[in-house]
Amino acid sequence: MQHEAFANTEDFGGPDIVAGPGRVSRPGADAPYTGYELGKPYDEMFTREGKARAPYAALDSRLSTLPLEELNRRQQACEQSFLHQGITFTVYNDNRATERIIPTDLLPRIVTAKEWDRIERGLTQRILALNLFLRDIYGDSRVLKDGVVPRSMIYGSKHYRREMRGLPVPHGAYVNICGSDLVRNEAGDFVVLEDNLRVPSGVSYMLANRDAVRRAFPAVFRSMGVRPIEHYPLELLATLRSLVPFHEDVSIAILTPGVFNSAYFEHAFLARQMGVELVEGHDLLVNDNVVYTRTTSGLKRIDVIYRRIDDDFVDPLIFREDSALGVPGLFNAYRAGNVMIANALGTGVADDKAVYAYVPRLIRYYLAEEPILDNVETFLCREEKSLSHVLANLDKLVVKAVSESGGYGMLVGPHASQAEREDFAQKIKSDPENYIAQPTIQLSTAPTFIGSGVEARHVDLRPFILHGAETKIVPGALTRVALKRGSLVVNSSQGGGSKDTWVLSQ
Amino acid sequence: MLSRVADSLYWMSRYTERAEHTARLIAVKLESMVDQTPEDAAASWARVTEALTGEKREASHDAFAITQYLAFDRDNDTSLINSLAAARDNARQVREALSNEVWENLNRLYLRMSPVTIDSIWVHTPARLFREALEEMHALEGVTYSTLSHGEGWYFLELGRHIERVQQLGRLLDLHFSAAAQNSESGPKYFDWLVLLKFCTAWEPYTKRYTASIRPQKIAEFLLFDPEFPHSICFSVDRMTEALARVAPGAPPARRAAVERLAGRLKAAVDFGQVDELMAGGVAPFIADITKQCEQIHKALYSSYITYGAETVL
Repeated sequence: MQHEAFANTEDFGGPDIVAGPGRVSRPGADAPYTGYELGKPYDEMFTREGKARAPYAALDSRLSTLPLEELNRRQQACEQSFLHQGITFTVYNDNRATERIIPTDLLPRIVTAKEWDRIERGLTQRILALNLFLRDIYGDSRVLKDGVVPRSMIYGSKHYRREMRGLPVPHGAYVNICGSDLVRNEAGDFVVLEDNLRVPSGVSYMLANRDAVRRAFPAVFRSMGVRPIEHYPLELLATLRSLVPFHEDVSIAILTPGVFNSAYFEHAFLARQMGVELVEGHDLLVNDNVVYTRTTSGLKRIDVIYRRIDDDFVDPLIFREDSALGVPGLFNAYRAGNVMIANALGTGVADDKAVYAYVPRLIRYYLAEEPILDNVETFLCREEKSLSHVLANLDKLVVKAVSESGGYGMLVGPHASQAEREDFAQKIKSDPENYIAQPTIQLSTAPTFIGSGVEARHVDLRPFILHGAETKIVPGALTRVALKRGSLVVNSSQGGGSKDTWVLSQ
Repeated sequence: MLSRVADSLYWMSRYTERAEHTARLIAVKLESMVDQTPEDAAASWARVTEALTGEKREASHDAFAITQYLAFDRDNDTSLINSLAAARDNARQVREALSNEVWENLNRLYLRMSPVTIDSIWVHTPARLFREALEEMHALEGVTYSTLSHGEGWYFLELGRHIERVQQLGRLLDLHFSAAAQNSESGPKYFDWLVLLKFCTAWEPYTKRYTASIRPQKIAEFLLFDPEFPHSICFSVDRMTEALARVAPGAPPARRAAVERLAGRLKAAVDFGQVDELMAGGVAPFIADITKQCEQIHKALYSSYITYGAETVL
C-alpha cells in the first residue's frame, strides 16, 4: 500500500515518460508548435532549420505527446499553488486591492554546462572588479587619478555616498548580493545587459519556479541531470555570516519595508528559509551606536542586517529625513562597526548606466584580464565621437538616461515618432553626460506555453551572485519572459512572467 | 520573539476566533429559524446581531439582509469576511513565523470566501457555506496545533484565541440572561436556550453533564464554570493563565508581575464563582467584571511586552 502511495507522489501531474526519438515536430507546422515563429533572434530551443537543439530533445518529445488539455491542467495547478502560497503582488485600482501572481511559464529554459561555466567565470570576474572599483572610489580613488573613469561621472552621481569615504568593509565586499541581467544575442552568446548592485530581487521566484516546474515534469527533470539550487538560502546565510568573521553567535535580520512592498513575499521567504528575523524599521532602535530589536523579553542586539530598502531610506538622520522605513542612527552604528549592512551603502554608483559602459575597462584595470562576458555595445554621449554617432542614428538606437531605471527617461528609436526623436535629441544635446545609447537588442526567444500551444517568446537571464569571504553562484537563475507576442519587455510590471531555469551538470 | 511578531500573532488569532464564532452563530441561526415563529426568530436574530456587532438594532424579519450584513458586508467591521481578511493580513505580516500549512490553510479559506455573495448561496441551504467555513477553520486549528512549535508564538496565538473567546461568549451570555431577567414577551424561550447551547457548540456536552433538561441556571453554570469544556469561560481563563506564564520568558520580573497579578485575580474570580450567588445577583455584573479584567490583561500584556518604551530597558 505504502509503495503505491509513494509512486503516486513521484508522478504527480500524471504519467510523464520520456518518449524515444520518433516523431519530429517542426516549429510553425506541427502541434503544439503551430504558432511558433523562428525569426532573426537566437532561439533557445530550435536551430534556424527548425530542429530541436540537443538539450531540449527530451522536453520536445514530451511536449509532442502531451495533449493540450493536460498542459493546461498542469499550468493551472502551478498557478493555483502560487496563489495559495501567497506568492502575489497587489495592484491598487479604484480603492480596491487585487492580488495577482507573477505568471510562471510551465516550460523550463535550459542552460548547458558549458554555457554555465562561462557565465559563472564571467560573473565572478565582474563582481570582483566591481567590488575593487567601489573600494577604490570610496578610498584612494586611483582609478580617477589614473583617468580611467572621469571624476565627474562618479562625484556627480546621485548614488555616490560621500558618507562612505574611508570606511572599510569586511573582505572589501561592498556588493554581497548581486543579480545581473544577461541576454543572448543573435550569435547565441550571452552578454551582460545590467548589473543590479543595490537590492536585486527575484531569487525567491527562482526557487518557487523550480518547485512548481519540477512537479509538472518530474520524469524529464529526473532524466536530464539538472543541477540543484535549493541551497541558495544556506549560501546566503553563510555570506551574511562571513561579514562578522570572529563571532560565534551572529544575529542576523532582514530589513523589509513591510507587507505592502511588492517583494515582501521574498523577504519573508528568505527569512524563513534562513531562520533569521524579519524586521521592519520600527522594530529596530539604536542606542550608543548599537542596533537592537525590540522583543517580548527585552532588547536584543543585531549584528548583520540584510536590508531590502534603498540607501535613501536607510537612516532618516543621514539620508532622506522623511523616511519612515529606516532606523534613526543606523548609519552611525554602521560607521562605528557595530553592525554590518548588506549590501553596503553607496553601491548604486557602480550600476548606473554610464559606469556600466566602463566595466570592461575596469576589469582590465583591476584584474589585468580580458572580460569573459561582453557588455552590450554602449555609446557614451559624454564622448564627442559617440555623441555625433548617436544623434545621427537615433532611429536605430535605444537612448537611456543614466540615472533612471525601470524604463523611465528612455527613447526607443525605432518605435518613436520623428517628433519624439527630435525632442529627445534636444535633451541629449543640452545634457550629453546624462545619456547613453545602445543598439536595440534582440533578446533570444524560448518556448513558452500560451494556452493554445507553444510559441516563441523573448527571454533574459538573471543569475544571483553572492560575495562575502568568497564568491558563490548557485547554478540557476530567474529567466524572465515577455509574455506578449513580439514584446521585448520582460518586467513583471509590464506583462512579464518568469520561467524555471535548468542548468545541466554535463 | 519580536514584539511586532507577537502582536500580529495575537491579532491573527483573535480575528480567526471571531470569524469562527461569527460563522457558527450564522450557521446555527439559519438552521434553527425554520423551527421558530417569525417573532421569536426576529428577536433571536436581533440578539445575534447585537452579540456580533455590538450594535442594538430593530428586530427584523429579513434574514437575507441580516446574513448579508453579518457575513459579507465589507463596510461592517465585524463581518465574517472582514474578520477573515484581518486574520490573513496579520498572518501575512508574520509569514516567517508560521508554518506553510497554517498560512496556506488560512489563505485558501479567505480566497474561497472572498468572492462569495449572498445571492449565490441563498437559493439552496445557505447554512452550508458557513458549515464548510467552520470545517476549514477546525482544520486550521488542527494544523496550528500540529505543525507549529508550541513555543512563545504558539502561546500568543492561545492568548488571542481565548481572550477573544471570553469576550464573545460573555456578550452572548449577557444578552440572553439580561433579556430573560426582563421577563418580556420577546425574551428567550425554551428553544432559545437550546440554540444558545448550539451557538457555543455546547449542546451535546451539556446533555452529557446535565441530561437533556434545559435550565438557564445549569446553562450558566456550564458555560461559565465548567473546567473541561473548551467553550466555557473557566476553560478559556485557564488557558490564558497558562499562556501568560509561558510568554516573554526573559522579560524582567517587574514587568512579568504586572501581567501575572491580573491573570491570577481573574482566575480566582472564575475558580471561586458560585452560580447560585450569581443567579441572585445577576449574571450580567459578573460577566461585565470578567470582560473588564480581560481588557486590563490585554493592556498590561501590551505595555509589558510589546509597546514598552526603549528607555525603560536601557
